[in-house]
Amino acid sequence: MMLIAGTVPIRGLPLTMGRPALEGDDLVVEGRRIPCAQGTGAMISAALAVADYLKLEAPQVLVAGDTGQGKGSREIYEYLIEKVGDISPQVVALHYCLPIMALMNRLCESVQRCPRKVLMIADAGSMYAAKAAGLASRFDVFTPDAAEMAFLADPDATHPAYIARHLFDADIGQTPDLVAAAYRHKNAARLLLVKGAVDYVVDGGGIVATVDEPDVPALEAVGGTGDTITGLVAAFLYAGLEPQEAAIIAARSNRMAGKFAGATPATRVRQIVEQLQAVFKEHLCQWSGVCCATGGQQ
Amino acid sequence: MAFLRRKKPSFEGGGLVLFEDVQDAMTAEKVLKEAGYAVKLVAPPPELRRGCDLALEMNLVEQPGIERALKEKDAAYVSVAPLRVGTSELLEIVKATDFGEQMMVRAGNMKLSFDKASGVIVNVSGGGCPDIPFLHSELIDRRLSDVARPRDIGFTLCALMLDRALEECLALWQGGEQR
Repeated sequence: MMLIAGTVPIRGLPLTMGRPALEGDDLVVEGRRIPCAQGTGAMISAALAVADYLKLEAPQVLVAGDTGQGKGSREIYEYLIEKVGDISPQVVALHYCLPIMALMNRLCESVQRCPRKVLMIADAGSMYAAKAAGLASRFDVFTPDAAEMAFLADPDATHPAYIARHLFDADIGQTPDLVAAAYRHKNAARLLLVKGAVDYVVDGGGIVATVDEPDVPALEAVGGTGDTITGLVAAFLYAGLEPQEAAIIAARSNRMAGKFAGATPATRVRQIVEQLQAVFKEHLCQWSGVCCATGGQQ
Repeated sequence: MAFLRRKKPSFEGGGLVLFEDVQDAMTAEKVLKEAGYAVKLVAPPPELRRGCDLALEMNLVEQPGIERALKEKDAAYVSVAPLRVGTSELLEIVKATDFGEQMMVRAGNMKLSFDKASGVIVNVSGGGCPDIPFLHSELIDRRLSDVARPRDIGFTLCALMLDRALEECLALWQGGEQR
């Protein structure tokens, strides 16, 4: 099972777990509508696109309403701490949550007690919590952008708002230095997919690939396009690809979807997600060897 | 499916609220606990002492919401500081990228883009705290000068960074780009 967990910006939405379905512009989980917009909704939508195309089991999603005060975040942490061993997912992708170090610590302890290896992915607030709590090395994949890479490289920062100025000033060309610092301080997951003008795939501290085509600069401005990359990585891992390959294909797919959508800074992320099926149909076989006659069977 | 009841929250840490005297610290503890924040009275390290020997340890990420809750109740405090010695100051710098019809401003991990002609916010990206998707939906398609400030309706450091980006966007639009 692939499990995606994160908050959604819906006041009062109770903790909800189920399989999502796309209905119009929204996702529907257990009868509750979640917008395919920046955040966990975008991440789920991208993972669902991969699952649909490859005829995989749809992800299980665990969501709760939270508009910043942390109630829904705490519900997600506590539920996973208690239940992750019973759920026994193969892939867990943690997303928008209030970074709470103590709860992340307890969650990692629960994951370690799972009867089989769980591939752990973190982005957004969950990645902040993992790094701040000194738990980064327990994770298989982080998907930071350039500013978040600087945060991982700063040994003292507990949030990207408090990173050292010289690290914030670093441009994407200095990513290798930031990557080295993050691994030196044990603040990186085993694999990093650093999102930027050039996407870097880093495994165990070594840069193994860069992706810079197609070049769609506007994607940086489109809220949710980092979230879709993380959803793509999670789903490709669940499909059985090796982490490096999953990261490279996720980066390529996201860029190509942006190109297909003719992305501008005013584009909505659902317009990018809508292009993913066409991207897979045209490119996935060539990129990954995952080929099918009708867009479905592996 | 059955869901769990919320347990008593664990302590989260990472930042300190500093006070001039003990009474202020105890008042603030009461105010913040009533507002639902997990806080703990602690002795501040010597390098962070501003007055009294009591401080409140808090989740640094919640700094904007905590400061707002204290101000709303007129609870006196000196400042909020990261607990970890060596942590840098809160980022003040911003960077702008011109996309032609739109401008994107980045502050820390947050990016806000607006239409240069109309001043309408066209996108919000970046961030990782749970108020950001909410703020995204609140800001998009609205004019820079008409929206509620993220620092006033958000609760986290991501919201504070978004507020800095909005401030810079307003300055750029009103100071030269407005047509």
